[in-house]
Amino acid sequence: MPKRRDILAIVLIVLPWTLLITVWHQSAITPLLATRKGEKLYTDLLCKRPAGPLVETSNRDIVEVVRTEYVYSRPPPWSDVLPTIHVITPTYSRPVQKAELTRLANTFLHVPNLHWILVEDSQRRTSLVSHLLQDTGLNYTHLNVETPRNYKVRGDTRDPRIPRGTMQRNLALRWLRETFSVNNSQPGIVYFADDDNTYSLELFEEMRSTRKVSVWPVAFVGGLRYESPKVNTQGKVYGWKTVFDPHRPFAIDMAGFAVNLRLILYKPQAYFKLRGVKGGYQESSLLKELVTLNDLEPKAANCTKILVWHTRTEKPVLVNEGKKGFTDSNVEI
Amino acid sequence: MAARMKLKLKTVFVLYFMVSLMGLVYALMQLGQRCDCTEHDLPKERTISRLRGELHRLQEQMRKSEATKQPQKQPAKPSLPTIFVITPTYARLVQKAELTRLSQTLLHVPQLHWILVEDSPHKTPLVTDFLAKSGLSYTHLHTPTPKDRKLQEGDPSWLKPRGAEQRNEGLRWLREDRRAQQGADSQQGVVYFADDDNTYSLQLFEEMRNTQRVSVWPVGLVGGMRYERPVVEGGKVVRFHTGWRPSRPFPLDMAGFAVSLRLVLDNQDACFDGDAPMGFLESSFLQGLVTMDELEPKADNCSKVLVWHTRTEKPKMKREEALQAQGLGSDTAVEV
Repeated sequence: MPKRRDILAIVLIVLPWTLLITVWHQSAITPLLATRKGEKLYTDLLCKRPAGPLVETSNRDIVEVVRTEYVYSRPPPWSDVLPTIHVITPTYSRPVQKAELTRLANTFLHVPNLHWILVEDSQRRTSLVSHLLQDTGLNYTHLNVETPRNYKVRGDTRDPRIPRGTMQRNLALRWLRETFSVNNSQPGIVYFADDDNTYSLELFEEMRSTRKVSVWPVAFVGGLRYESPKVNTQGKVYGWKTVFDPHRPFAIDMAGFAVNLRLILYKPQAYFKLRGVKGGYQESSLLKELVTLNDLEPKAANCTKILVWHTRTEKPVLVNEGKKGFTDSNVEI
Repeated sequence: MAARMKLKLKTVFVLYFMVSLMGLVYALMQLGQRCDCTEHDLPKERTISRLRGELHRLQEQMRKSEATKQPQKQPAKPSLPTIFVITPTYARLVQKAELTRLSQTLLHVPQLHWILVEDSPHKTPLVTDFLAKSGLSYTHLHTPTPKDRKLQEGDPSWLKPRGAEQRNEGLRWLREDRRAQQGADSQQGVVYFADDDNTYSLQLFEEMRNTQRVSVWPVGLVGGMRYERPVVEGGKVVRFHTGWRPSRPFPLDMAGFAVSLRLVLDNQDACFDGDAPMGFLESSFLQGLVTMDELEPKADNCSKVLVWHTRTEKPKMKREEALQAQGLGSDTAVEV
């Protein structure tokens, strides 16, 4: 009898405790199971996604939305980490000017941390360019300097003895040297972009890592499909793959190189030579003051990809305007 | 003493049992509610639940802030009318460059679908790869121009109408695709014919978005003039300001008008006549669709130029050709 009562007592003591412990254990596990599912969503959302091809994930809605957000914010928000690309563009008035600058601006609006230095070949800054720059929302600096008449290109023909845009590019270099001090550690890259060329977005990311001077191929220059630096197996530039005077110190087009801002500031005497420059030697006149062949950094997959095209826009034939001008000159084109 | 002890023990036991029972009931009630068990959580679990909360918050934020979606997604949401841009293109040296800078403009325009039609018997790898990397919503089509309509080497560009077959193919695809779509939103939109060498401002696309029938605006650098434009009086187009053959039914350039999707779908037979005489290509399409007084003038009553008929020079290849004759041409594996 007492044995049975004892057993009953023990059972009555142990049972509730075991039930209690089981219950507590259960409730501790279920939140863990719930988080496992959420973890996957989290990694899908925050994993690094390149701007180009998208990573395939199971949750397509989030992927699409993130892509939309990147594409439509213009210009991209300024980053404290990326080096600034200072793009120097000389420009001059002609019928296609506004069109050229419009589509160039549409390209630049995709590039983060871009500072556009637009230098007009004019006596004073025109309202066409001022308004265009304001409307784009880009980070810009608007300068102007007029090329004296005997240096300007005569008529239509491109006379290579008179380099166009030289004074404007030099003014921009001077502005950079006056604005940024050598001790200032703001990283920057300087690129000379003409207003009629075509630039891929990848190009700007390639040049952002320039330490001294980086180079890459350019299409449609020198009468070839493309001109490019010659790169050896060690990844160093040793020559130039061009037909037109490949023995120039730097047989490269203006659009084919970028210079680190620090180098521009360290060598304040380096400018484009204005007088007595042979055709095709303008780029060399600047680069030989800045760097040697050995220091050049090849980009664009060791100079095997074309990321910039030296396109030229046809001069529009305005025959129907006649002597007095058929269209209203107040309408800006 | 044994009795007293038994009594004490019994009450102790009963008390003990009651307490345990109450504790069990309490625990069972706690099971249904959110666990605030911070003492039991490992730091990792804590991070995970915090991140889950953030994730839910961000998802809510994104759902609220997203303005646009590609067509065919979320038809229930009121979205911007889609702009369908039909661009004929053909292989030549500057093709990739032209498409690159055109895509850079189009990338800024929300709710835009690019219909790129190649003048080619098959899809080329250059265009296929380019479109895949472009980041745009697109449809890649192709149709070759018959030989007798094709411009030959040395022909001036204005000799034969270019791109008619390709634009018609774009229209055909669009009509077929929209037939398969459900919902009122899918029938809403604008169709614009954009050549791959023109220059478009971003404002132009916003001007054309709400076209009801056919909207028109000035085009720069065309027709041998600084610009061509419709002349607007009292909010209606009364005539066209052009230096070349103003007697045409619609003396405007391909880049100077946009048609509402509704009109394109309602007129299944409207297309471009490849045999039309020079300059009449646009008229061959618009004639059946709309009359002059139905045209909707945009761009500030057609006083602003938002699109330019730029043309790109053919690059000089004399040295390349000389090298190729020697068998030393540039590497063709490098895509230009």
